[in-house]
Amino acid sequence: MSFEIQKEKIKQICRELLEKGEVDVIIGYTAGEIEGTRIPYIFSKPEEADKLEWDERCTPNLCTYLHGRKDKVGIVAKPCDVRGIVNYLVESQLKKDKVYIIGVDCAGMKDDQGNPSPGCGECSVKQPPLYDMRVENPDVTNEKGAPPEAADPADLMEKLERFQNELQKCILCYSCRQACYGCYCQVCFMDRGVPNWQPATPDLGAKMVYHLGRAMHLSGRCVECGACERTCASGVNIRYLIKEISDFIEKTYGYKTGLDAEDQPVMTTYAFDDKEIGFLGGDADA
Amino acid sequence: MRNQIITKEFLSAMLKSLTKDYRVVAPVRNGKVLEFMGISGDTEIVMNDEIPYKSAKDCFFPQVEKLLTFKDGEVAANINAEKTIIFGMKPCDAEALRVLREVFLAGQYQDPFFQSHFENTLIIAVGCVREKPGCFCAERGIDKSFTDFCDILLNDEGGEEYTVVYLSEKGMDLLGRFEETKHILPPPERKAAETAPEVKKVELNQELDETAYFDIIDWGKATEICQGCGICTFICPTCHCFDLKDVSMQGATDRFRCWDSCMYPKFTLHASGHNPRASTKERYRQRVLHKYLYVPQNFGCTACTGCGRCIRSCPAGMSIRKVVEEVMEVQP
Repeated sequence: MSFEIQKEKIKQICRELLEKGEVDVIIGYTAGEIEGTRIPYIFSKPEEADKLEWDERCTPNLCTYLHGRKDKVGIVAKPCDVRGIVNYLVESQLKKDKVYIIGVDCAGMKDDQGNPSPGCGECSVKQPPLYDMRVENPDVTNEKGAPPEAADPADLMEKLERFQNELQKCILCYSCRQACYGCYCQVCFMDRGVPNWQPATPDLGAKMVYHLGRAMHLSGRCVECGACERTCASGVNIRYLIKEISDFIEKTYGYKTGLDAEDQPVMTTYAFDDKEIGFLGGDADA
Repeated sequence: MRNQIITKEFLSAMLKSLTKDYRVVAPVRNGKVLEFMGISGDTEIVMNDEIPYKSAKDCFFPQVEKLLTFKDGEVAANINAEKTIIFGMKPCDAEALRVLREVFLAGQYQDPFFQSHFENTLIIAVGCVREKPGCFCAERGIDKSFTDFCDILLNDEGGEEYTVVYLSEKGMDLLGRFEETKHILPPPERKAAETAPEVKKVELNQELDETAYFDIIDWGKATEICQGCGICTFICPTCHCFDLKDVSMQGATDRFRCWDSCMYPKFTLHASGHNPRASTKERYRQRVLHKYLYVPQNFGCTACTGCGRCIRSCPAGMSIRKVVEEVMEVQP
């Protein structure tokens, strides 16, 4: 089933939801000013549904727009967006009765060059894990895609070198934080005056503090939507680091973020038999 | 015009030879992006029609700059800009520098740090062949292939050659240093009509008071998808807000000037905890009005040259051009 058929279905669902008043607004995609781009749009009238777009350029994670809203919101959600919503439910950031999920099977998004969008190449969740209405695509199954381009080196100094090579491009604008569904702290640790975590000048040390801090805060919370890498105007890829943490958590605790709304947040759950290898080192299997 | 031509190969060699005496900054591929960076003898300079993702304003107004050092009761100013040549600024970037010059040098206060960078820099601008997605320089009254706010202007003739003219004494002197370029001339006189095609300009009515614009459109609706990330302010060639920070170490204190962004909540946060620009709506409105109303009122030029970077880089696809056009439709 093509994007076009899915698009007509989504339009129809959105029109009906708004006509019946089942939701106040719907967060979806519309055409951006630059040809081919798809940008977030908040639909509030049924007739606006004609402007709705759905194709392989609908890259932004819309889940981030749900946070803090008081009204009843419908959302056109790719599986990664749905995983974000599920994690909002897990973290009590959202009440299920305040959101209507139009879950859309996703064949993977593309960038403007036609290459897989960051995260899409290795995506393994292509069907929404939670929905009120699902827009299917029979060609899509939850199979694991290609492995990430460059595997992380094993040697600690090589790891550091790779990390710092990425960071020389960073200009500390914090776009990745703003685009991230999971970065919803009212005041980010980097913006705090007391204690002041942010070194006075945006040098390599400041960049390391920020990116390592953010990666730690996303432990067991990243839904692999790729927004951080896609958003970065400077072309920094810090997603590989967070992916490594996610893989560690999946291996250690058997937990994959955003699949089950009944889960407990993995890093705030305590178990007596936890070997705490995240802090103490060692092997999960030992 | 044949005499006014140099090859890209020669230009590349010329720029590299100049690294002996100058810091030479040029568009260089850095990972996935094209960026203005200092070059050395073996750097590959990108000489196509692409526009670097970030402007070259940090050559004049660095993201971090040590201004003063306090030690043993003495204050020392660090005014020692390196002699620099920037290759590859587009006319939109060069015209944006005109705005920065007005702000830092022409107003009530002159900034000696900016002045030092400005006076020690030679600009080799390159005309655009075609508009990029999101560009709107024509609507901002800028000619994509010509600017006189540079020392040397090149235009890509397709293939491996540039036409060259100089627009300042500094430019003439530099070209005079090379056998191949010492015959180069300034451009012929241009008539105003040639340089300014009739396009409806994107601008605000500067006769009006700012309060007229506060509720002129639904700023909340216009900014509901803005994520407040501030990338627009970082890559913008005219954004110039900064913060001052003191760092004390080993008995000395350094005062740094760092870029700041009006899109951040902390930008206007008062010590009391009150924030006069409480949400993205107020912050984005400030950004638009600063560029299109306050700078024109204070310095006589609009602080947007239509380079389109903020539109191309916005993760939510916001467009300042669309927002200003929306305001223009209803402004008195």
